[in-house]
Amino acid sequence: MGEVIVITSGKGGVGKTTTTANIGIGLSILGKKVLVIDTDLGLRNLDVVLGLENRIVYNLVDVIEGSCRLKQALIQDKRYPGLCLLPSAQTRDKTSVSPEQMTKLISEIREDYDFVLLDCPAGIEQGFQNAIAGAERAIIVTTPEVSSIRDADRIIGLLEASGIRRNELVINRLRIDMVRRGDMMSVDDVTEILAVDLLGVIPDDEQVVIATNQGEPAVGDGSAAGRSYMDICRRLNGEDIPIEDYTKQGGLFGKISGFFRRNQGGQ
Amino acid sequence: MSVQSVYIAKERLKNLLVSDRVQCAPDAVERLTKELYQTVSKYVEAGQGQIDIKITRTDIHIKYMGENH
Repeated sequence: MGEVIVITSGKGGVGKTTTTANIGIGLSILGKKVLVIDTDLGLRNLDVVLGLENRIVYNLVDVIEGSCRLKQALIQDKRYPGLCLLPSAQTRDKTSVSPEQMTKLISEIREDYDFVLLDCPAGIEQGFQNAIAGAERAIIVTTPEVSSIRDADRIIGLLEASGIRRNELVINRLRIDMVRRGDMMSVDDVTEILAVDLLGVIPDDEQVVIATNQGEPAVGDGSAAGRSYMDICRRLNGEDIPIEDYTKQGGLFGKISGFFRRNQGGQ
Repeated sequence: MSVQSVYIAKERLKNLLVSDRVQCAPDAVERLTKELYQTVSKYVEAGQGQIDIKITRTDIHIKYMGENH
C-alpha cells in the first residue's frame, strides 16, 4: 500500500508544484509507481509543470462526482512509465470537493501505487483541508524568507493538530552566496526555527526555470537543483543520503571563492 | 559595513512566530500590546511613538522613551 504524502507550504509561490513534479518524476525514475494529484481546484498548474496540459480530458472533480471512472481521468506520462497524474479542475472551486470525499478517493487508489503525492494549494482554507485529508505524511516547502518560514510554522501547527506528525522540510531556492554574505538565513537557521526534520535543500538554480519552461523536470539532469531533487527522492525511497553541507566551503564554487579570499588576505 | 540583513530577518521572524504561537486568541498579542500601552499611558504622559512594547518568547519588554531621547 502506497505512502500518501501532501506537499504543502502555506505561502504561495515557494515551489510546491515544482517540488511535487520533480519528486514524482524522480521516484518514478527510481522505479516506483507514483500518482501525483493536483488538489488546487480552480488554479490548475501541476499538469503544466509536468508538460501534460494537452492530455487532460477528465479531472479530480469528475472522478469524485462520478462523471467518469478513475482510469479515464488518470494521465499516464509516456516519458516516465511509473508516473500518473490526476489533474485538477480549472473551472470549479474548492467547495466542489470535501475532505471526506478526498479521504475516500485516496483510500481506494493508494494500493495501486508506491507513492501518492498531493500537491496542495496555497492558504489554510478548504483547499488545504482537502489536500491533507487523506495524507499520513507531509513535506513542507519553504524558502529562506521571513514570510515563507512564518507560514510554514503555521502550517506545521495545523498539520500536527490534524494528526499528521511525520512532517519534513524542504528548503527551496537557497542562495549559497547570499548565506555566506550574511544576507540570507542558512539551512541551520531555518531548521532551528521550525524544529522539524530536514528532507532536503534545493539551491536556487535557473535550470529549474528553464526546465519548467519546457515542461520537463530538473530532477535527474546534471544541474545542482536536479541533483538535490534526486537526493530527496532517494531519501523518500529509504536510502541514507546525507544532506549536502551548504555551510562549508565545499564544491568548485567554494574552492574558487575561498581562493580569492586568501589572495585578497595576502595583499 | 551595515548590519548583515540575516540578523534582522531572524529577529523579525522570531517575534512573528512568538505572536503566532502565543495566540490564545488570534489577536491576543495585539490586544495585550494595546492594553499595556493604555495602562502605561494612564500614569505617564506619552504618545504612541514613545512607548515601545516587545513581546518575545520569554519576556515582555516595555521601553519608555522620555524627554531625554
